[in-house]
Amino acid sequence: MNALARRAAGLLLGTLCLPLAAFAADVQPTHEFILDNGLKVVVREDHRAPVVVSQIWYKVGSSYETPGQTGLSHALEHMMFKGSAKIGPGEASRILRDLGAEENAFTSDDYTAYYQVLARDRLPVALELEADRLASLRLPADEFSREIEVIKEERRLRTDDQPNAKAFELFRAMAYPASGYHTPTIGWMADLERMKVEELRHWYESWYAPNNATLVVVGDVKPDEVKALAQKYFGSIPKRAVPPSKLPLELAEPGQRLLTLHLRTQLPSLIYGFNVPALATAKDPRSVNALRLISALLDGGYSARMPARLERGQELVAGASSSYNAFTRGDSLFMISATPNVQKQKTLAEVEKGIWQLLDELKTTPPTAEELERVRAQVIAGLVYDRDSISSQATTIGQLETVGLSWKLIDSELDDLKRVTPEDIQAAARTYFTRERLSVAHVLPEESAHE
Amino acid sequence: MSDRSAPRYTLFGLAIIVLVVAIAALLARPAQSDSQGKADTAARPANTLQSLAELDGKAPSRRQLNIQHWTTAEGARVLFVEARELPMFDLRVTFAAGSSQDGGTPGLATLTNAMLNEGVAGKDVTAIAEGFEGLGADFGNGSYRDMAVASLRSLSASDKREPALKLFTEVVGQPTFPEDALKRIKNQLLAGFEYEKQNPGKIAGKTLFANLYGQHPYASPSDGTAESIPGITLAQLRTFHGKAYAAGNAVIALVGDLSRGEAEAIAAQVSAGLPKGAALAKPEQPVEPKPGTTHIDFPSKQTHLMLAELGIDRNDADWPALSLGNQILGGGAFGTRLMSEVREKRGLTYGVYSVFSPMQVRGPFMINLQTRAELSEGTLKLVQDILADYLKNGPTQQELDDAKRELAGSFPLSNASNASIVGQLGAIGFYNLPLSWLEDFMQQSQALSVEQVKAAMNKHLAADKLVIVTVGPKVAQQPLPAPTDKPAEQPLGVPEH
Repeated sequence: MNALARRAAGLLLGTLCLPLAAFAADVQPTHEFILDNGLKVVVREDHRAPVVVSQIWYKVGSSYETPGQTGLSHALEHMMFKGSAKIGPGEASRILRDLGAEENAFTSDDYTAYYQVLARDRLPVALELEADRLASLRLPADEFSREIEVIKEERRLRTDDQPNAKAFELFRAMAYPASGYHTPTIGWMADLERMKVEELRHWYESWYAPNNATLVVVGDVKPDEVKALAQKYFGSIPKRAVPPSKLPLELAEPGQRLLTLHLRTQLPSLIYGFNVPALATAKDPRSVNALRLISALLDGGYSARMPARLERGQELVAGASSSYNAFTRGDSLFMISATPNVQKQKTLAEVEKGIWQLLDELKTTPPTAEELERVRAQVIAGLVYDRDSISSQATTIGQLETVGLSWKLIDSELDDLKRVTPEDIQAAARTYFTRERLSVAHVLPEESAHE
Repeated sequence: MSDRSAPRYTLFGLAIIVLVVAIAALLARPAQSDSQGKADTAARPANTLQSLAELDGKAPSRRQLNIQHWTTAEGARVLFVEARELPMFDLRVTFAAGSSQDGGTPGLATLTNAMLNEGVAGKDVTAIAEGFEGLGADFGNGSYRDMAVASLRSLSASDKREPALKLFTEVVGQPTFPEDALKRIKNQLLAGFEYEKQNPGKIAGKTLFANLYGQHPYASPSDGTAESIPGITLAQLRTFHGKAYAAGNAVIALVGDLSRGEAEAIAAQVSAGLPKGAALAKPEQPVEPKPGTTHIDFPSKQTHLMLAELGIDRNDADWPALSLGNQILGGGAFGTRLMSEVREKRGLTYGVYSVFSPMQVRGPFMINLQTRAELSEGTLKLVQDILADYLKNGPTQQELDDAKRELAGSFPLSNASNASIVGQLGAIGFYNLPLSWLEDFMQQSQALSVEQVKAAMNKHLAADKLVIVTVGPKVAQQPLPAPTDKPAEQPLGVPEH
């Protein structure tokens, strides 16, 4: 799993990975340009090793899907490996494998992305293959009939047989009453059962246009050579109108919702989610940055409040975490989850009380200067550490661009967070940590169902 | 933030929902394979890729590593690569202190490792965490079957580096092992065991190691068991730390923005802070297990299938041949025989992989997959047939050539980041491999013939020696769907439908 997963898991510091001149030895030059057909290209130089990562990001994902057609974006991602004008089904993977490349793809609610990591002299192959499937995907029906079975296996493996993943899928469906974020990225099984290859063709033709994509290249390259290659392989693909896409907006205060699930699990657990804005939807970015700091104060390290107090001090939980993804296309959730310490006979009710104590304290008491300084130190170091991975750098750029923000946001990262005052943090806690914004899931072992 | 989440040692695999969740939200394809199947003929499908035709066929250039090596006064071996590009460094100290040194108390090694950062003189666990995090430093620890690891990633500026190293040295060398922390961590481990009971893959893996290794220490899970953990005492932890975290039992790997002199000073400081003592002896070699299949009933939709035999130790001269042979069978994500036959041609699984895990003594060879329960018997037979056919006939020349090309092409990726380099230095030091090991491995692999790969696979594996574990529901079985392409000659003993 890539850095995005960890980012989505809410480490504040996961969000930004580009360097600040003040702290890094040399800033790696970053360039952007747009081809005539609308394809945006971002190139970031990293000359430490003769390798390169190429990622193409499409602005389409499960939040764009409609009821009855869930899972289309992810299924199309699978079918993108099944041949295009110049190559047969599966052949691109074989070609890249033989070149020693790492390649794969991922789909989320906001995007679908494809990547290759390879020795720098092989970059033209990656770009030619990527351009070919953008221009001329085959979508053979017989390949689809087998691939949909693979996707169903994937759903069984990752969701249906995983109680926590299943609980989270249902939780999201409840916590996002108004937006496409209630749709699971892999799709509901009933929709997979009735999916047709014609729907995939329509989805492909609707969204896979150069003007709906961002190409990100990071590594041992110069912008001129990438520009020439991009022009050579992508330049002739015509621009196409894409359907209007609306930001996934949520109800601000939908009211408290409670989901009780009895699943095949040994341990009870708890999920909390507050409906909150993200950077792309907030009127005031400071409140969003305050929420990011709150997530760091709660769970930004082993010294943060949740591990220090709930896990160790009160021994209320066996584990707990908070997460907040501010870099979504639409409104977001501030998430908390926890497993009670059953060895100490702690209950879900006690855990909820402990969590509310932490949240209420944020409303009434400003964080100490030392706490904020620790968060800042981690941000500064994290900006340097993230430069050790070319993939992590590319992913940050691609994600920001695809959710409607600019990759240049990373340059202001530290300043944006420093601008947040203790009063902003209290105000954000008071505004957002309310019952009216809260969804709760109680995930319980099956036995309790028969009591 | 690439590595930040890794070091926290609080959860022991007690996955917190949000993490599970975030992962589920990004559905990556694990792999794809080639629908051409085994390229029995030399002819390649005629693609029209201009860029591919223009590649000159030479192996790509790669970053040259100058690995420096020395031994500290107390006997710790040090490997160092200077990398000045980023103002940071990685330190990774590896001890032969994994669960194979538990001495009949499963979980002792894990508990000792997990307790390192719970207390030092004058600091409790939270003060230690505040110390590292206030410097922006990442402390990490982990314990496995052979090795236990403690790691530090820090900015290289001396006002960050020096206090981080001082704290790291105390944590690894002079932990105080507070009683209350031991109780808490035991409870977390016990919660983790409960949590694992919902995971059919975990159940299968534990049973497989138990069946494969019998009385050998590799048979026990590294984290111990619900029976073994409660009785472990502080005195046992202190004794284990005194011998297993000794300088003579340690390998110190360093990569980053440091001069040789700074690296020597760091290694000397860490080494001097450790208990005095020599390297621990390797565990005995395991004895051959009894082949056979164990089924465990579990109410899942899929059945998990694991097939294994004893493999090799890390110093086995056949490692390059087996590694290449396995890469063709099921080792890479893409286009392996297993992926091609099981996923691409029949849609039976999301992923199927085979792996040799060479360890201090013979580690396992394993094949791992999941499929819908009603097809599990047919799928298991298919996998066994693929393995038997591969052992009988070996790879084709085309497969071998492709695998060599893949290996050469991926070499530059293997030392592109500080994180990947420090991991390699740790392994080279821990398994006493020559400093030229990476280059040697490449050269030996490129020189292998089809016959040599086939002979090595057959020397170490046999189709009738498999130890098999299946976990899933008992349901009426159905025949497998027909494969997609119709090869002129059926290469496997696959039933026709």
